Amino acid sequence: MPTVAQPAAAKARPVSGTDTFERIVDEYQRRLYGFALRMTGNREDAEEIVQDAFVRAYRAIGKMTLQQRAELRLQPWLYTITLNVTRNRLRSKRPTNVALDSLADPDALLNDTSILPDKPEDIVERGADMALVEQALLQLPMHLRAAATLRFIEGRSHPEIAEILQQPIGTVKSHVHRAVRILRRILGPQLGRIIHLDGEADAVS
Amino acid sequence: MRCRDIEALWDNVCCGDEPRRDDVLAHLQACAHCQGLYKEFEGVAYCLSCLPVVEPPQRLVSKIMEHIKQTCPKKTDPDSAISYESPLGTIYVAFRESGITGVAISRGEPLDEALVRMSQRLHRPLIPQPAPDWLLAELTIFFKTWRTDGVRVDLSDLTAFEQAALKKAAEIPVGEVRSYGWIAKELGQPKAARAVGQVMANNPLPLLFPCHRVVASDGTLHRYGYGVEMKAQILKLEGCTSIRV
Repeated sequence: MPTVAQPAAAKARPVSGTDTFERIVDEYQRRLYGFALRMTGNREDAEEIVQDAFVRAYRAIGKMTLQQRAELRLQPWLYTITLNVTRNRLRSKRPTNVALDSLADPDALLNDTSILPDKPEDIVERGADMALVEQALLQLPMHLRAAATLRFIEGRSHPEIAEILQQPIGTVKSHVHRAVRILRRILGPQLGRIIHLDGEADAVS
Repeated sequence: MRCRDIEALWDNVCCGDEPRRDDVLAHLQACAHCQGLYKEFEGVAYCLSCLPVVEPPQRLVSKIMEHIKQTCPKKTDPDSAISYESPLGTIYVAFRESGITGVAISRGEPLDEALVRMSQRLHRPLIPQPAPDWLLAELTIFFKTWRTDGVRVDLSDLTAFEQAALKKAAEIPVGEVRSYGWIAKELGQPKAARAVGQVMANNPLPLLFPCHRVVASDGTLHRYGYGVEMKAQILKLEGCTSIRV
């Protein structure tokens, strides 16, 4: 079964002052940027969203008591803020016709050797396929896109996603499930080909 | 187990938190239809997990830190504070050169206790000072007119939305009331009534910014940080005649 990487849980650190905050930004910017990018399909939006999210986080931390800071679960909280900023932004800018940069550009793929098929023609095809997947994801309604992105791209567990989305676990599961159903329908026949290119996905043993 | 039950459980099985895992797998082995669907489910999950990780732009961290330094000034500079005898009894007023930054109505506690409480609310130290003339003059006029536009205030510690909501509240004529939803609508965010409620609840300048003129949509007073009785009393002092508790 192709497993989704589960990044190690972030170590708890006391949160205070700009120095510490810079460490937080450094540690989470990559992850939050990736998340915002998948949610919007647009690099400029993603950059501004991450920036705005960190400003909000900084302000909020400044207003917290020491105890609140100690109890803060930083990673899900930062995802939640990023998602809220994304929502606000996309609400004013309907996502029906998102200008999609080619995120899966061949250059980026060339640098990522871990997922690279051997033949050059496969690389080109692979880039096109990934663009298809990106497009399909962007066609989902926002709440389903968030659930699917967190689950399969960010590799978060159901309880973590429930905490980030502030929803019951059952709701999260059902959203993930519905997202997959819709994606399956959108990708349709291409799905088989994309998987085939990478070799058969193993069945659950 | 039926096919349509199975489908909803796959992701649980993948996560390793499905108690009926064995049932699901047994069904999958026996049912070609579900096997096909499962392959597709896995395919979707796989496609998503294969999307390339796009690196954030270079220097994003320093850009963010720069932005934070510009938009979030350090709040360690103390403000000054005085106590003032108003028609509502003693009030405490925090201020700096640019204007008033905080107001608290006395609950009968000593000055230093009141200042500690207010300083926690404002996230800023407060130092008791003699009252400057401009401040006394403006407060005197305020308690005669109840009009916000005659006082110098500094809202710069607040967010844009908080500032907008408070300024909108100040547009409610003296002695009249409006609902939280009215403010939300006026701000062009008709669904933000509860957000407006939050702003009113955290209003650092009660009295001066008349959160007491903002009431529930049915015209009842709803709540007030100093108690609904105080809300009614303030509205009465302003000349409001239609107070519904």
